[in-house]
Amino acid sequence: MMHDLQPVPAVLVKIVPMVVDNHLFAFRPEQPLADIMPGQFVEVSISGVGSFPVSSCDLVRDGRIMSCIRRAGRVTDALYRLKEGDTVGLRGPFGNGFPLQRFAGHDVLLIAGGLGMAPLRGLLQALLEDHDRQGRIMVLYGSREPGGLLFYDELVGLSQQGRISVRFSVDFAETLPGPHPQVFCRIGLVSELLEGLQFAPRRTVAAVCGPPALYRCVLEELALTGIAPARIFVTLERRMRCGIGECCHCVTGGRYICRDGPVFSLEQLRGMAGAI
Amino acid sequence: MIDALFPSYPLPQDVVDDLLDTIRRDWTFWGPCSGEDEVWRLQPLPEGLWPANAVTTFLTVKKLLLPQRAALWSHDQNSYRKAGAASPVAVIGVPLCDLQAVWYLDQVFAEDEPYLDRRKQLLLIGMPCEPGAECRCSRQLMPLAGDLFVGADRVWALSRAGQGLLLECACGVAEEMPLPWPEGPDGQRSQISEDLFLSSAAASIWFDESQRCLSCGACSAVCPTCYCFDLLDSAALDGSVVRRRAWDNCFFAEHGKVAGGHDFRPGRADRLRFRMEHKLLGFGDLRGQNSCVGCGRCRGVCPAEIDLDRIAEQLHLEVGS
Repeated sequence: MMHDLQPVPAVLVKIVPMVVDNHLFAFRPEQPLADIMPGQFVEVSISGVGSFPVSSCDLVRDGRIMSCIRRAGRVTDALYRLKEGDTVGLRGPFGNGFPLQRFAGHDVLLIAGGLGMAPLRGLLQALLEDHDRQGRIMVLYGSREPGGLLFYDELVGLSQQGRISVRFSVDFAETLPGPHPQVFCRIGLVSELLEGLQFAPRRTVAAVCGPPALYRCVLEELALTGIAPARIFVTLERRMRCGIGECCHCVTGGRYICRDGPVFSLEQLRGMAGAI
Repeated sequence: MIDALFPSYPLPQDVVDDLLDTIRRDWTFWGPCSGEDEVWRLQPLPEGLWPANAVTTFLTVKKLLLPQRAALWSHDQNSYRKAGAASPVAVIGVPLCDLQAVWYLDQVFAEDEPYLDRRKQLLLIGMPCEPGAECRCSRQLMPLAGDLFVGADRVWALSRAGQGLLLECACGVAEEMPLPWPEGPDGQRSQISEDLFLSSAAASIWFDESQRCLSCGACSAVCPTCYCFDLLDSAALDGSVVRRRAWDNCFFAEHGKVAGGHDFRPGRADRLRFRMEHKLLGFGDLRGQNSCVGCGRCRGVCPAEIDLDRIAEQLHLEVGS
């Protein structure tokens, strides 16, 4: 596939403040991009400032791309100064995305830390919209503090409808999040949410997304529960500048994360030095 | 490709002149020019001045394919416009190692339109060289790119375009012949295996060598196969914006850092190891292809005397069994 590194103009159609400095941004490109699979990403370009990679946190609906974007640097800061109706540029989609066919017919365990919920929420939407799907969906989601839990109401709602089961963890809190007293939430690391979780490892596919520290503590622990490393999928964050496997910033273990990934199985990651 | 044969033609002087005139019709000649500082640079050649030999110029053909800062597009009033096209250039006096390097870049950028737009405008003409003390080229390393190779009394067609030019000049009858690679420099090359590299993470050589690194970026600027780039915007007062592709360097502190501050290659030793991995093992589909063409430029230019060949040798001693 040929690449010209040129963005398509896109209107910033909606900004939904969710958590402080973690807002939802919906973009509508002037010419539709190819469908974005959960786990794939686009490069959002703000002319005169730069560009950054971001995954989609929803399925593309009516050509609209939705991302949860943290105000974390120079370019995202510029995005936070834009208003609805302003335009940005989009390139993509890039990367491989989650292999949805591998999730079919299996129970699914989603483990997210912090902003890692955003790409997994895209995957969750795809799983929920597959009406032929069978099997449970379990979500384990950890954040630094209760106020940082993204999509909290939505996840609790889905849990109350019985469509998913969800467990939250927070690193620090004086009071645990409400107003759902029946919600499972504990103080501690997200990996501790695995304790006492009833599931059938041989029937389960896992997807994990979070900061590097999460991967160091959770991936091998997941494998110890009996889920095959080939069925534990991880999406990696790196400095993906070009998105097309050229500029070299994202390379890890000799592979371009932007093109060969960003989704890898634990089996693959074990052979990639420096990946975890 | 090893010891590949190319159609070769006898080349009397009148045909040389004819060939150069034919090329000059469509291309501007660039070649090695020595300045008052005795540094050989790749520059437009003054009329009628042809190099006698190939020279490992300070910067390579890379500067025409991936200029240090090249506009990709401009953005004005919500439309993106592709940057202007490059003009046709015939580079004469390219050493064989640099032609290998172009082959390597062609693989990396095989799907990159801005690169290919420039690539199509280039006619590459190799010539024999006098290997210098730093040279460690190897014909076995990888195939080469290029259109023509002009020797003392023969010329080789390396591409269809080159073949077409030679037919136009009625060069006589072709014979399939190998290219005249320089004698001598083959050998003493840095080579490491995947296993050696993987087991070397804690080797002291990374720390010892990288301590001296000034992160100046000279090594990758002069390297014919280094291609890391960054994307940079610049805005004019009228609000128009140009995005450029600019050379980057894996020794720079920001290279592996993401927004939010996490750095995936935080120390200079990590970055030296990354550079070595890229050069000698390759990334992505090119894993397993050593891309050090042995030109010796990085060794010559490094102010801290960091030498990948020496590091490879040390690794074999320190880690290899």
